[in-house]
Amino acid sequence: MSDTRMLDHGSTPLRYARGWHCLGLAADFSDGKPHAIHGFGTKLVVWADSSGELNVLDGFCRHMGGDLTQGEVKGDEVACPFHDWQWGGDGRCKQIPYARRVPMRARTKRYETAVVNGQLMIWNDPEGSAADRDILPPELPGVLTDEYTPWSWHVKEINGSHCRELIDNVADMAHFYYVHFAFPTSFRNIFEGHTATQFMESKGRPDKSEGGYSGEDSTLRSEATYYGPAYMINWLEVDYKGFVTEVILINCHIPTGPDSFTLQYAISVKKPEGIDDKTVDYIADAYTKSFGDGFLQDVAIWENKVAVQNPLLCEEDGPVYQLRRWYEQFYVDVADVRPEMTDRFEFEVDTTRANEYWHAEVAENLAKRAAEDPAAPAEV
Amino acid sequence: MASFEPRDPATLEEQRRYLRDGLVDVACDACAARVGVRKNSEQHTSIQWTLQSVALCKVFAARDQTPGRRDVHRSCPNMMASVDAAVRDGDVSVGAVDGY
Ligand code: FES
Ligand SMILES: [Fe+2]
Repeated sequence: MSDTRMLDHGSTPLRYARGWHCLGLAADFSDGKPHAIHGFGTKLVVWADSSGELNVLDGFCRHMGGDLTQGEVKGDEVACPFHDWQWGGDGRCKQIPYARRVPMRARTKRYETAVVNGQLMIWNDPEGSAADRDILPPELPGVLTDEYTPWSWHVKEINGSHCRELIDNVADMAHFYYVHFAFPTSFRNIFEGHTATQFMESKGRPDKSEGGYSGEDSTLRSEATYYGPAYMINWLEVDYKGFVTEVILINCHIPTGPDSFTLQYAISVKKPEGIDDKTVDYIADAYTKSFGDGFLQDVAIWENKVAVQNPLLCEEDGPVYQLRRWYEQFYVDVADVRPEMTDRFEFEVDTTRANEYWHAEVAENLAKRAAEDPAAPAEV
Repeated sequence: MASFEPRDPATLEEQRRYLRDGLVDVACDACAARVGVRKNSEQHTSIQWTLQSVALCKVFAARDQTPGRRDVHRSCPNMMASVDAAVRDGDVSVGAVDGY
């Protein structure tokens, strides 16, 4: 027998996670037109009825499979472009204008909805349970008022990766140095119930300037919690040269296929006192750009890596296995959720040895750079 | 229904090693809660609670229980003190096995 370690790629689940998923900003669906969202292996249709209520159905008409997202909103219903069958938000066909009556069985798949922080959420459950509104993400006080900049919303399609790759980041201390160019000085995880939290303090690497975590002048205090399988709120305190900004970053996704998902992120910045709106917008744009770049740094890794069911860990790594055990609760029937998947688990990562090594490496990088370009600052 | 399934039976062994090995039972000095503790190094701590022990913890009980609460990352100071004491007394040994 050889001692060579093999990667176990495992198999991807045949189902999509149970829980709340965010489709986007509610306002973006409220123009009286049907909207298409790819998700859960199909296409969904989203529209606002005459009272402004948002509805979400499977996008394909149960008559002959017409694409409802290309139809029209008529009254409260979405009408299919193929033969004008008109579907209500409750999933029932309300009218077939050319027919004497609507077949009783004319019911399609509907998703229960909620609007939280101006964002449209839908409940997905392969078992078809009623939406659990007690586990919606929390309302964020002050957001969507004059105290914060409006959400800037961004969408990125990811192909070739299961969305668990994105979740793995929660427990991944060391990638913040290598991928996001920061020194994570303090790093903790807490998994409990349907939430998974990462607590991190980091300092930017002075030898790099790409992405939201890097740069010698920036220090960051970050609390990020997943509420269910697909929606994270990240409270960030960014200290740039002593100027502290509170940033709220939403990181959410919709699985689209067995190994693809749509990543969405949004940023809202607490307006610092005594600063004019133009400067505030400038700051918000800068953070949006830099945290957006941060996601792209991850994407480049995901698009090229392979799935690993048996990661090999060292002492400085975070609790990847416990995180995945937590995440698995969303992929099994409710009756099969084991206590250990939801029991509280706390983990503090030892960052001492890693930071010693990383500081030495960065000092070396800076020295090399100074030697190559005598005009650059030598020492930090 | 199938979730993330390993292909190699050895992966199950790995899961057990990372999830369960080396957890030592520690009782809180201030309440009846007990947790599983593992220390790979001075700074590292891994604490496995159960639903029962969380329910017994006085500090958690006194905290805001609303779903959106933001103090989730804070541990119970009584339990942390008890863990430190268990480490000092040698009940919980400090050190990793084969790098973890
Ligand atoms: S396919 Fe939709 S009305 Fe016929
Ligand atoms: Fe990342």
